[in-house]
Amino acid sequence: MDKNDTTTYSVQLYIYDLSRGMARNLSPIMLGKQLDGIWHSAIVVYGEEFYFGGVGISSCSPGGTMLGSPDTVVELGNTEVTEEIFMDYLSSLGENTYRGDKYRLFEHNCNTFTNEVAQFLTGRKIPSYITDLPSEVLSTPFGQILRPILDSIHIAPPGGNIINGRHS
Amino acid sequence: MEDNGGEDPVNNNNNTTVSSEGSIIKVTVKTPKDKEEIAISEDASVTQFKEEISRRFKAKQDQLVLIFAGKILKDGDSLNQHGIKDGLTVHLVIKTAHKAGDGASSSTSCTSQVGSSSGSSSGPSSAAHSSSVGSTGGPVSAPPQTPNILTGFGDLSSLSSMGMGSANFMELQQQMQSQLMSNPEMLSQIMENPLVQNMMSNPDLMRQMIVANPQMQQLMERNPEISHMLNNPELMRQTMELARNPAMMQEMMRNQDRALSNLESIPGGYNALRRMYTDIQEPMFSAARDQFGNNPFSALGGNSDGGVQPSRTENREPLPNPWGPPSSTDPSEGGGGTGTTGSSTAGSTNPSVSNPLAVNSASLGNGMFSSPGMQSLMQQISENPQLMQNMLSAPYMRSMMQSLAQNPDMASQNPASSPSTGTNPAQQLMMQQMLQMFAGGNASSQTPEVQFQQQLEQLGAMGFINREANLQALIATGGDVNAAIERLLGSQPS
Repeated sequence: MDKNDTTTYSVQLYIYDLSRGMARNLSPIMLGKQLDGIWHSAIVVYGEEFYFGGVGISSCSPGGTMLGSPDTVVELGNTEVTEEIFMDYLSSLGENTYRGDKYRLFEHNCNTFTNEVAQFLTGRKIPSYITDLPSEVLSTPFGQILRPILDSIHIAPPGGNIINGRHS
Repeated sequence: MEDNGGEDPVNNNNNTTVSSEGSIIKVTVKTPKDKEEIAISEDASVTQFKEEISRRFKAKQDQLVLIFAGKILKDGDSLNQHGIKDGLTVHLVIKTAHKAGDGASSSTSCTSQVGSSSGSSSGPSSAAHSSSVGSTGGPVSAPPQTPNILTGFGDLSSLSSMGMGSANFMELQQQMQSQLMSNPEMLSQIMENPLVQNMMSNPDLMRQMIVANPQMQQLMERNPEISHMLNNPELMRQTMELARNPAMMQEMMRNQDRALSNLESIPGGYNALRRMYTDIQEPMFSAARDQFGNNPFSALGGNSDGGVQPSRTENREPLPNPWGPPSSTDPSEGGGGTGTTGSSTAGSTNPSVSNPLAVNSASLGNGMFSSPGMQSLMQQISENPQLMQNMLSAPYMRSMMQSLAQNPDMASQNPASSPSTGTNPAQQLMMQQMLQMFAGGNASSQTPEVQFQQQLEQLGAMGFINREANLQALIATGGDVNAAIERLLGSQPS
């Protein structure tokens, strides 16, 4: 039986460079290895952009945060998951593993969220250069020095609305 | 004798009991909350799978929504059909009645948001072409502020594609700000637009916009001269000219630097400058301090307090180069540009309100870059990437260096503590070298003796013949001749 008549929604990954190009130029000097950017990512589906930050899961119109337009857009494919199911799913996530206070810059950040949602929606993961970034940084001596400072940073690009689990 | 090899043409996969045919595979079922491993026959149907799941997760079968590879598993399908094999993960969403209701409501709110965003994006684009104020009444239920601002910009259609779903003005400002930041061309485009030029040549309007920025208000409170400057329409006009023309701005800044250094060399001029600095610039920069973490001019101005009268000796040292390498006066280079632009010459004929100017262009939106210091800093950086490199070595080091820097300062104030004075230059030297290492072997990888050669010569010419002590003092003060003199005078046993 063929499923071609069910509606599919296209899923995209928006990738932003939080350093606005500075990382590409300065990382060899500061870290000793080349990092092309400090990547923040978000999932765009159903005409909305979803991302995880220090305040929890947020949504906005695509490219609508202060970061502006993404540096790269990756097509993740299509999903049959409807918006309703997806919002259920997000609410569940937002109550548990993706509450605002669970944000950790190195281990549990926006890209962790994006990776998980991408797999939920399409079965595919996000490109590995994004998820490998924290370990890349931590493997440099400079990253180790800065770790306590960086750990306390919560990235929360303004311009979105928070999707609430019921209680956080 | 029918075996379950794949060559049996009759399709009898879908209806038998769970564990009779096919091998058992372990499939991970993942919910937002947890995950479980479920053993199921590889030929099972989705219905059977759901039975297992409902038992394990204590949920009703019709509440279960199974997703794999972006597809929703329908009851009539088989696991095989979707390619679900051993070790793979299937996602599960459990709909509760409660949640289903929420899901519906959130989805409706989502769609309404989507609806309004598409509506309002069509609004300004049509308005942008017609360029008349407030003509977007018809199809759009979006807030009226949005079309009002944008229609004024005429045919800058790029503005209409900014993601106009924002329902409030603040977001709009932020978006504009981020657009401006990412596209410097846009700023000059906006400037050239005749409507904008009109607006800009209306000094009252510009003044209002500047004054509306809260940081500006703070500055003005502290320093009424700034508001005087703002009130002068001729001044404003000149400033607008400057904004439009970055080359002109640079030229003006250079003139300023030259004038300043001239001022310094005349007798008593240094004091006048210092007075000017403490009256005007210091509060201004204290106000903008949080962007820098440090008063950028503290190294320059405050050290030679009453120590050296410049009229006694001709000050041949050029004004510290704000764009120079970081070996001397580290924090000043970022702030140096802003500092010199912010000050006016003694006669105050040259307007140079570059700082309020910077706030002006940023006051189009309250972005994180709206402080005056940051704005001109960003400008300098974009013109000179080397500067960025230099500067970046400073802030990261600054917190580390500040504590260290405080020690020499304290030590210089009580000359009695000679042991600490002794170790400090060595520490300073080490810190400097670390700094240079981080800055990637930046220009001055020389010994301090070579580095401070010019200063050493000066000190020698002034009569400080103890080269060792001179060198130490220079190291401790980072090359600041006046401060070094102070140290030397303070620590000499005469």
